[in-house]
Amino acid sequence: MDSVKTNFEKIVAQARKDGAKVEMLISGGENLSIGYQKKKLDSFASTQSQMAGLRVILGSNQGYAYTENLSEESLQRTYREALNNAKTVQKGEKSEVPLQKPQTVPEMKNLYSPEEISMEKKMEMARLLEEKCLSMDSRVQAVPYSKFNETMSFKRILNSEGLDQEYKQNYFSGYAYALAKEGESSKMDGEGFFARSFKEIDLDEVVHEGVKKAISRLGAKKLPTGNYAVVISRDQFSMILQMIYSYFSAKEVHEGKSLFIGKLGHKVASEKFHLVDDPFESRGSAVRPFDDEGATSQKTVLFEKGVLRNYLTNLEFSQKMKLPHTSHARRSPASTQEITPTNLVVAMGSKSLSELLSSYPKVVYLTEFAGGLHAGFKDSTGDFSMPAEGFLYEGGKCVGPIDQFVMSGNVLDLLRDIEELGNEYNKPGSSMICPDVLVKSLSFAGA
Amino acid sequence: MIVPSHILTKALDAALSTGADFADIFIEDTYSSQLSVLNSKPEQAIVGQLYGAGVRLFFGHEVVYVTTNDLSEDGLVKAALNAAQSRGAGTAKKAMPLMQVPFDSTHVYGEKPWEMNRERKLQWLNSVDQFSRARHSAVTQVESGLNEKFQRVQIANSRGLMAYDERAYSRLRMEVFVESNGVKESASEDEGHMGTSEIYDQISLKDLSEQAVDRAVMLTTAAFAPAGEMPVVIDNGFGGVIFHEASGHGLETTSVAKDASVFCGKLGQKIGHESVTAIDDGTIENGWGSLNIDDEGNKTKKTTLIENGVLRSYIVDEMGARQTGYETTGSGRRQSYKFAPASRMRNTYIAAGKDRFEDMIRDVDYGLYAKKMGGGSVNPGTGDYNFQVGEAYMIRNGRIEEPVKGACLIGRGIDTLGKITKVSNDLKLARGMCGSVSGSIPVAVGQPQILVSSLMVGGRAK
Repeated sequence: MDSVKTNFEKIVAQARKDGAKVEMLISGGENLSIGYQKKKLDSFASTQSQMAGLRVILGSNQGYAYTENLSEESLQRTYREALNNAKTVQKGEKSEVPLQKPQTVPEMKNLYSPEEISMEKKMEMARLLEEKCLSMDSRVQAVPYSKFNETMSFKRILNSEGLDQEYKQNYFSGYAYALAKEGESSKMDGEGFFARSFKEIDLDEVVHEGVKKAISRLGAKKLPTGNYAVVISRDQFSMILQMIYSYFSAKEVHEGKSLFIGKLGHKVASEKFHLVDDPFESRGSAVRPFDDEGATSQKTVLFEKGVLRNYLTNLEFSQKMKLPHTSHARRSPASTQEITPTNLVVAMGSKSLSELLSSYPKVVYLTEFAGGLHAGFKDSTGDFSMPAEGFLYEGGKCVGPIDQFVMSGNVLDLLRDIEELGNEYNKPGSSMICPDVLVKSLSFAGA
Repeated sequence: MIVPSHILTKALDAALSTGADFADIFIEDTYSSQLSVLNSKPEQAIVGQLYGAGVRLFFGHEVVYVTTNDLSEDGLVKAALNAAQSRGAGTAKKAMPLMQVPFDSTHVYGEKPWEMNRERKLQWLNSVDQFSRARHSAVTQVESGLNEKFQRVQIANSRGLMAYDERAYSRLRMEVFVESNGVKESASEDEGHMGTSEIYDQISLKDLSEQAVDRAVMLTTAAFAPAGEMPVVIDNGFGGVIFHEASGHGLETTSVAKDASVFCGKLGQKIGHESVTAIDDGTIENGWGSLNIDDEGNKTKKTTLIENGVLRSYIVDEMGARQTGYETTGSGRRQSYKFAPASRMRNTYIAAGKDRFEDMIRDVDYGLYAKKMGGGSVNPGTGDYNFQVGEAYMIRNGRIEEPVKGACLIGRGIDTLGKITKVSNDLKLARGMCGSVSGSIPVAVGQPQILVSSLMVGGRAK
């Protein structure tokens, strides 16, 4: 038996005496990050981490504590802190929070396949990321942000029901953001990559796409204020999915915070909108064999022809709300348990991007939301005012880049007003897999 | 003291063993506690410890950074050797003998978070619920939370510096949800400081709760803000987020040294209206963004960034000083040992001017009074920034009129600095969390009320 298991067995014995149930989530890994600036190595970071998070259950109450010191003494202290926290919490409910029973978890072979890549090759990749951007176009003035990363991570869950499961994954990722200048106009944009094996990385494509994005936005003009049809690009529709991300959580529904309360089985979105949560979709970054309380992953239909089909649940809320158990518990060792989606996959439509852009006499092609959600979205109401950039199309032809405008509306109205979806997906590596999406009318504040 | 000096010396020597010309070690032991109450019931309790070290090496302008959770002699020396061997093959150097900088805190702390009785904390959180519900019958749900952190850091470098610091943070947050005539809304407030939690005995949580409730109720009847360019009066306190986004990030050497800032090469030049003087001050007693020493062990400072519209200083860390030649300003900061430090803001504000708030409003025929700001972001390379407005009112004919919601302000840094035409005499600071290359750190933003002669308001088009 390994030391983690031995230490945990002692905690379980103590928990039995305390009348408590206990779960330990250990996660960590290794990350290598290399960045170049002005053709010289700028940063080389190698980080290792591991953390254990304990969840102690006393009836309907749960307490949490975490530590980075995995010694027996430290884990025992962390257990006592979590127990003390469980005693503080007073939910006043009768039902007991369940833990996952041991089960057979199907293996996911593609997640972990470590490769021996020489340091020279990795440094070369990091160097070329910057250098190729700089040499591709004379308007590229600098590449302020570029990194090559190699990551190995693991997650292990043990609980007092006897469960002990682990999975590992490794991947390469990175990005290059070029700052382009022409006259008074400057724009920064770029592209990223995510690959489960080194040979899958297409450096030239990353550089080409990233620099093209920055250059094409130079000389942007302000958009006249008004209502426009809009095509939200496949790269940016993820921002819209992020807006509704927490609404699927049964916990948020139970607490009265989700805007999907009472909408199960109802038509919420456009007939053309189909959305599935798929933890097995290999294009996505949120692939996992089991969730963060150890329950085996499964695929869940969220929207079918615009009708809301399921909320996402963990064991506790599946039991409490008498809903199907969908295995969507999520936590890190240092956080309390929440319920969140894995890979969200929007079904493709049949139209090409150019067909979508020719749908109306004037169409805004939205290619960038400038701020994060914290700078323009209110989840308690669904209202948003998002600064954005993109291109104006007239009669299906690009008139030019546009910037300094704000797109406003309500996310539920937006979902309802989806008219068509494109027939191509964004690049792999995001947990949100989206085509281009045409929305018939949104309000734009500009010049 | 977390790790004895002889161990740090060995680790620094190991770090310099392959030709690095500078090395430092950042040791951290941090206790965190989060307690939350939902509808008068304790809902969540989580405590934990971060415990680790970051070893950083400079080879000229190259930075190597390695972290470990093993703070034993073996663990630290191994991490330092890993860092050294990953890069250099030069001649070994020795670190200077370590000289302890006396620990002298500007900030006053009371009971540490693990010492304070939890009942006392829960009483504060419960009172928020009671005050909120007593204020208005439309309140449907109240969440309150107390986040506390006590960070102990030890920093040693190859120039012989060895320093220790303690940073306590406490922040109480609330969010109230209301429903009135079928319309749901919410609003949030927070209080806190760099320090421990006894402060909530001195702060009126009643006033704070009532402000949140009043704003949420007001929003249920507010119309959407109009769209377009117009004069905007931005309130004091968190209104200072406009300077933080529009200028602050672009003044950090993290951006400047990469030629990724619109403020590159503009030192000594006029970059803003003459009414604008801006300060970044790490020395304010118990200030949210304050320090004693920064995360590179340098004593923090008060730095004048802009004086009467003229750019006077950047925000400079050790590497920034090497790259740009400017002196460090004690601004090297990081979220934790997991991040290499970078030049970051501390308590950043526009200094008080001479104008009166009433006069500013009176000067506007048609515009927006942005009273409560939300989050924002900036692209330092282009200076394009944006932020949300949580509470706003229309100004018509020199008077504050009806409330509006859903407004967002966008602009370009240098352009906006030139359009700040009035600065009031009523300076206030407010707390925020700032995310950037070295993680999420507490910073204060601040300003007196300011008038921006023209700014893009992103509301809804008619």
